[in-house]
Amino acid sequence: MPAPATILVAEDQADIRDLLVLNLRNAGYRVEAVADGAAALATQLERPAELLVLDLMLPGLDGLEVCKALRARASAAPILMLTARSTELDRVLGLELGADDYLTKPFSLAELLARIKALLRRAELLRAAQAESKGPARVVRNGALEILPAKRQVRYRGVSLEFTALEFDLLLHFASHPGHVFSRGQLLDAVWGYSHDGYEHTVTTHINRLRAKLEADPMHPELILTVRGAGYKMREPT
Amino acid sequence: MTVRLKLALTVIATGLVTALALIAAVPFAYLRFEHETTFARANAFLARVTTNYDDLLDLQQRQPQEFRTWLRGLVLYEPDTQLYLLDAQGTVLASSGDAQLPPGFKVALEPVRAALAVAEGVGSSRYVMGDDPERMDADAVIAARPVRRATIRQVQEASGYLYLVAHRAELPAGRWALLSRSVGLPALLTVAGIVAAATLFAALIIAAVTRPLRRLTEAVGTFSARGLDELGDGPPASPQALLPSAGGDEFGRLAGAFALMLETLRRQWAALRRLDHFRREGVSNLSHDLRSPLTATVACLETLERHWAGAGADAASAAERAEERRLVAVALRNTRNAARLVQSLGDLARLDEPAFELRRETVDAGELLDDIRLRFAERAARQGVALQVGHADDTPPHASLDIELFERAVANLVDNALKFCPAGSTVTLSAQVLDGRLQVRVADTGPGIAADELPQLFDRYYGRRRSVEPASADGGRGLGLAIVKRIAELHGGSANVVSARGQGTVVMLDLPLQPLQPDTSETAAPQARAGAG
Repeated sequence: MPAPATILVAEDQADIRDLLVLNLRNAGYRVEAVADGAAALATQLERPAELLVLDLMLPGLDGLEVCKALRARASAAPILMLTARSTELDRVLGLELGADDYLTKPFSLAELLARIKALLRRAELLRAAQAESKGPARVVRNGALEILPAKRQVRYRGVSLEFTALEFDLLLHFASHPGHVFSRGQLLDAVWGYSHDGYEHTVTTHINRLRAKLEADPMHPELILTVRGAGYKMREPT
Repeated sequence: MTVRLKLALTVIATGLVTALALIAAVPFAYLRFEHETTFARANAFLARVTTNYDDLLDLQQRQPQEFRTWLRGLVLYEPDTQLYLLDAQGTVLASSGDAQLPPGFKVALEPVRAALAVAEGVGSSRYVMGDDPERMDADAVIAARPVRRATIRQVQEASGYLYLVAHRAELPAGRWALLSRSVGLPALLTVAGIVAAATLFAALIIAAVTRPLRRLTEAVGTFSARGLDELGDGPPASPQALLPSAGGDEFGRLAGAFALMLETLRRQWAALRRLDHFRREGVSNLSHDLRSPLTATVACLETLERHWAGAGADAASAAERAEERRLVAVALRNTRNAARLVQSLGDLARLDEPAFELRRETVDAGELLDDIRLRFAERAARQGVALQVGHADDTPPHASLDIELFERAVANLVDNALKFCPAGSTVTLSAQVLDGRLQVRVADTGPGIAADELPQLFDRYYGRRRSVEPASADGGRGLGLAIVKRIAELHGGSANVVSARGQGTVVMLDLPLQPLQPDTSETAAPQARAGAG
């Protein structure tokens, strides 16, 4: 049993902050809570937590600025951003300032806990992969597709391709289970780490992007196939 | 017929009528001139004769034959002229002509008296027409002078008249031809030239006059085509700047009035837009402000629920708390519904923002429908509703869509169908390309919708206020359908419904395959938007 993860919560509304702390503690995490952005930054720099839950609209330094400042100091701890406004969300997404996930208020605690679990697991996997990269490199092959999970590199037909973190994870998941059909819900669960109704379109978008990068004709895919009424699969190597 | 053409035709018609009148007036005036000169000459001639010879009656009485010869001698050098000596009653006593007049032949005395009056300058006429004793069928210019018998007494009444007839018929035969050649043709050409010049000049004036009118029409037409949005809400784009500048004439004033009208419209439009913006902002802010308390409430209730679920080991306390747990469950369900409604309101406000942009990606809409069916498969099975995707055999319906929003629209429709359909119903999704557009249908065999509710179905604020919601409904279908409609509009398409009580409902999304404006290109944002509901 590893030591429980430490989570830093920055939320200016006391009621919500208390509830977050209560539930995270109940879920077995060690929790620290602050009420503003400056305190969040100072606390994180002093005693780094493994994950941050930041409200976007914090007094003083807002969530985005905290995020920016932390990333500038090479802090790799995953950040879950809470927003109250869909328009703010657009701003967050547009700026791409390094938050790892987003949740709009009002959210359910179950969803919040699922997201936190997924973020921590991803961070753990990343650490494991980095540790592994020191040893002999594992290679996942599927026909002309070649994936080096440790280096997060993909070569297809001898050409090196660039993928975002989630695109890479999705591709790796497919490549690790060739011929296996996954529904969008299953992919959301396996790759994103949570399954919440209403986010399935994210999977569609990412499969679309994978096809755009890998397929000669994305409208008639030959690698990542659609199984009508069931989901998606990667073609088995012949 | 344009005003310009009407005015031009009027000018041309006026010119032609003037020309014709002139051409008709020339011979008349010439004839009158001829008559007047003839009369004046004849009068002068008679005056000379009567002054020199004051005993003409006596001469005639005494020597009729010699008198006649003498008369002939008088007119020898006066062409086309005949002289007659009349007595006081108009009876011809002697004539210079050859024609044999019946004895006692009389000429009308009325013209004679008129001629005397004219000779004295009385009356408006300048010549007199009277009898020609040799040609009774035609009038001729006549002149007359009274002659008196030589008596001792001064007699006032004339004892007779010297009567002169100028024969028209004896004008030279070629004279009319000469007249038309020397006067008529040049006159005609001059008149035609004047008319042509006047028409041209008028056309130029008309063009100058109607140009501001045409410009105004063009400017107003431009406004009609582009709408008031082109004017913007800012002060710089003043309508006066866009309308043709005209002088102070009627057209200028018309243009000015139009400018004022546009200004008023623009002001009201700007006010409306401002109000609409405030309304959207208000809804958005309200939605925002409601989110935090709702988040806290939901979190509270969820914490309580978890707490009791964890402490459920103790059977006695679990039974004791059953009532409380049920109450918390009710509170939680309702709060979640309120939260969803608030989120929908906020989302709708966001979709209404003029700056909102779609993230288009090219997808197979059929595949997307398959995936959406999978999402709802479990719920449909639980409700005993058959949820299926009907596939057409033709080409896969590829279209450029915002995947999140498209999925949300279809999901809202499926959610509604499942909400209202009883067990045993069928819900069918289908997508096909029809006439170059993507047609997506969500058809159910449910209870249908009453005809009087159909027109307001997509109206966000009307909702379904007039009928009772099913107990499970979270905010009814009003807001969900308003979002569907807005999403269809954002894609440049429309949402329509066909339904009747007891005959199921078909909702159709009709979307263009490609964006209407090419500038909304496909975006490649690495993260998808969250916050669907």
